Amino acid sequence: MAKLSKTAKVYLVLVFAILYAPIFYLIFYSFNSGGTMSSFEGFTWEHYGAVFNDTRLLIILMNTVIIALLSSLISTAIGVLGAIGIVFLRNRKTRKAVLSLNTILIVSPDVIIGASFLILFTLVGVKLGFASVLISHIAFSIPIVVIMVLPKLQEMSRSLIDAATDLGASKRDILTRVIIPYIKPGIFAGFFLALTYSLDDFAVTFFVTGNGFSTLSIEIYSMARAGITLTINALSALIFVVTLGLVLGYYFFNQRAGQSPGTGGAKL
Amino acid sequence: MKELVRVAIAIVVISTILLYTVNVLEKSSATSGGGTISVYNWGEYIDPELIRQFEEETNISVVYETFDSNESMMTKIEQGGTTYDVAMPSEYAIEKMKENKLLQPIDHALIPNLKNIDPYFLDLPFDPGNEYSIPYFWGTVGIAFNPTLLDGQTFESWNDLWDPSLEQEVILVDSAREVIGLGLNSLGYSLNSTDMDELRAATDKLKTMGPNVKAIIGDEIVEMMRREEAAVAVIWSGQAADVMWVNEDIDYVVPEEGSNLWFDNMIIPKTADNVEGAHAFINFMLDPEVAAQNADYVGYSTPNEQAIALMDPEVTEDKRFYPPEELRERLEVYENLGLEMLGTYNELFLEFKMDMEN
Repeated sequence: MAKLSKTAKVYLVLVFAILYAPIFYLIFYSFNSGGTMSSFEGFTWEHYGAVFNDTRLLIILMNTVIIALLSSLISTAIGVLGAIGIVFLRNRKTRKAVLSLNTILIVSPDVIIGASFLILFTLVGVKLGFASVLISHIAFSIPIVVIMVLPKLQEMSRSLIDAATDLGASKRDILTRVIIPYIKPGIFAGFFLALTYSLDDFAVTFFVTGNGFSTLSIEIYSMARAGITLTINALSALIFVVTLGLVLGYYFFNQRAGQSPGTGGAKL
Repeated sequence: MKELVRVAIAIVVISTILLYTVNVLEKSSATSGGGTISVYNWGEYIDPELIRQFEEETNISVVYETFDSNESMMTKIEQGGTTYDVAMPSEYAIEKMKENKLLQPIDHALIPNLKNIDPYFLDLPFDPGNEYSIPYFWGTVGIAFNPTLLDGQTFESWNDLWDPSLEQEVILVDSAREVIGLGLNSLGYSLNSTDMDELRAATDKLKTMGPNVKAIIGDEIVEMMRREEAAVAVIWSGQAADVMWVNEDIDYVVPEEGSNLWFDNMIIPKTADNVEGAHAFINFMLDPEVAAQNADYVGYSTPNEQAIALMDPEVTEDKRFYPPEELRERLEVYENLGLEMLGTYNELFLEFKMDMEN
C-alpha cells in the first residue's frame, strides 16, 4: 500500500478526533464530583460506585447484553440458512422477489416495525417482556445477516460444489464442509452487525418492552426528562473500556492464532 | 465449522451465566410472599431507596419501569400486554384516560394516609372527588431568569416579558396551552378561557412580544439556561429547580397575575393485576416521612402537608416552589376544554409562531 500523504494523514486524524471527541468528553465528566456536565469541579470515583450499587441498572445492562448475544446468535443461524436458500432458488424471478422482500425489511423504519410487533404481540396474547424483545430483535436482525452472507455465497464458485459431489460428498457434507467454511467471514460479519444493531436499538424495543423488562436505550431515554445523571456517563465509560478490551483481545488472539487470511473474522 | 460451533456454544454459555446472575440479583432485591406490583413512572421520579423500603415493609416486590411522556405511557396501557398496577400521569392525561375508560376507581378506605394531603390539592376539576387519582407531585409555570445577564433586572408580572430591553432574550416552552395561557393571564383572563374574543386578544398581544422571543423549544431550555445562553425562559417549576440547582444565579418567579398549577398523580390502570398491592403502594407513598424523603430526592413540590413539616424549612418556605396562600388563589389547573377548543388553542399558537418568522 502506498504511503499516505501528509494532508491525508491530517485529515484522517481530524475525522477520528471528531468521532471520538464526544465519547472522551462524556468519559471525562464521569469523574466530575460536581454532579453535572457543565463544569468540572474535582475528581471522584463516586459515579462508578453508584453504577455498581444500582442493582436495577446492572440488571438492565445484563438484560441488554443477553438480548444482544442471543438474538444475534439465533438470527445468524436463521439468516445463514435463509441466504443459502435464496442463492439456490432456481427461478430467477422468485429469487429476486425474495431478495426485495428482504431489503424492504431493512429499509422500513424501525418505528413501524416496532408498532407492528406491539400490535401483533397484544393480538396473539404474548406477554411483553423478555420473550417479546428477543423475538423482535431476532426478526429485525435476520435480513441484516442475509445481506451480509449473500455476497460471499454469490462469490463462491459452483464448481466447488460440483467437485465435492464428484468426490462423493453427501448434501450435509457439502453444507458443513464446503459452503459454511467458505462463507465464514460473512457469517461473522453478519453476527457482529446483528449484535451492534441489537445493542443500539431503541425504536423497536421501545414498543415491545414491558413487565419490568427494559434495555439500556429505553432506560437512558426515560431518564433524559429529569436530566441525565453522571451515573450514565460512568456506565458508558465502562462499556467503552470493555468494548475496547474485547477488540484488542480479539486482535491479539487473531495474531497469535497465525495469520490465515480468509478464515475466521480476520477480515473484520 | 468447528470454530462456529465453539463460538455459538460460548455465547450460549455466557448468556446462561448472565441470565442466572440476573435471576439471582432480582431475587435478592425482591421479597417473596406478598405478591408483586408493577409501577410505571417518569424517569428519575422516585427515590429508589423507598422502593426497597416498601418491599421490606409489605413483602410485596416491586417491578419498576419508566416512561418519558404521558402519550407513550397511555399507549402502553391501552394496548395491554403488560399489567401496570400504578402509574403517574399528568392531570390532562388523567382526563383522557378517564374518557377512554382506562382507569379504576380508587378505594379511599384503603388509603388512610390521604388525610396527610393538603385539601387545596384535592377535589380538582380534572378528577372531582379524587375518584381516580391521588396527587404525587405538583408545580407551576413561571419565569426563570438570570439577573447577572440582565443587569439585575427582575420579574414580577407576565407583562415584564414585553419589556423592550429584552430583545432576543426570551425563550418560550413549545406548548400551546402554556404560551396562550401566559397571554391570557397577562390580560387578566382565565387560563381555561373559551371566549374567542379573549383568545384573540391574547394571541394579538403575544404577537407584539415577537422581537423579544429568541426561541420556542422544548426540554433543551434547561441546558441553555444552565450554560447562560439564554437569560429568560418560561418553563415549569420542576425544570426551573433543575436549572437553579446548577446555576445559582438563576431565579424563578410565579407571576403575580397567576399561572398554571400542574399535577402528576398516582392512578391505577384498568388492566392492573394486584389492585390491593397498588393501594398499599399509593398509601405508602403518602406517608409523611416517605413523601418528605421522596420530595428531597426528586426536588419537586409535594402536596403532602404532613411531609412539609418534616422537610428542611429552607426548601418549604421558598415561595417560588411552595407559593403562599394568596398566590395560590390565582393559580389555575387546566380544565379539559374538549378536542375542538384544544384545536383552537393549537391553531392560535401556530399563528403566533408563524407571525414570529416575519
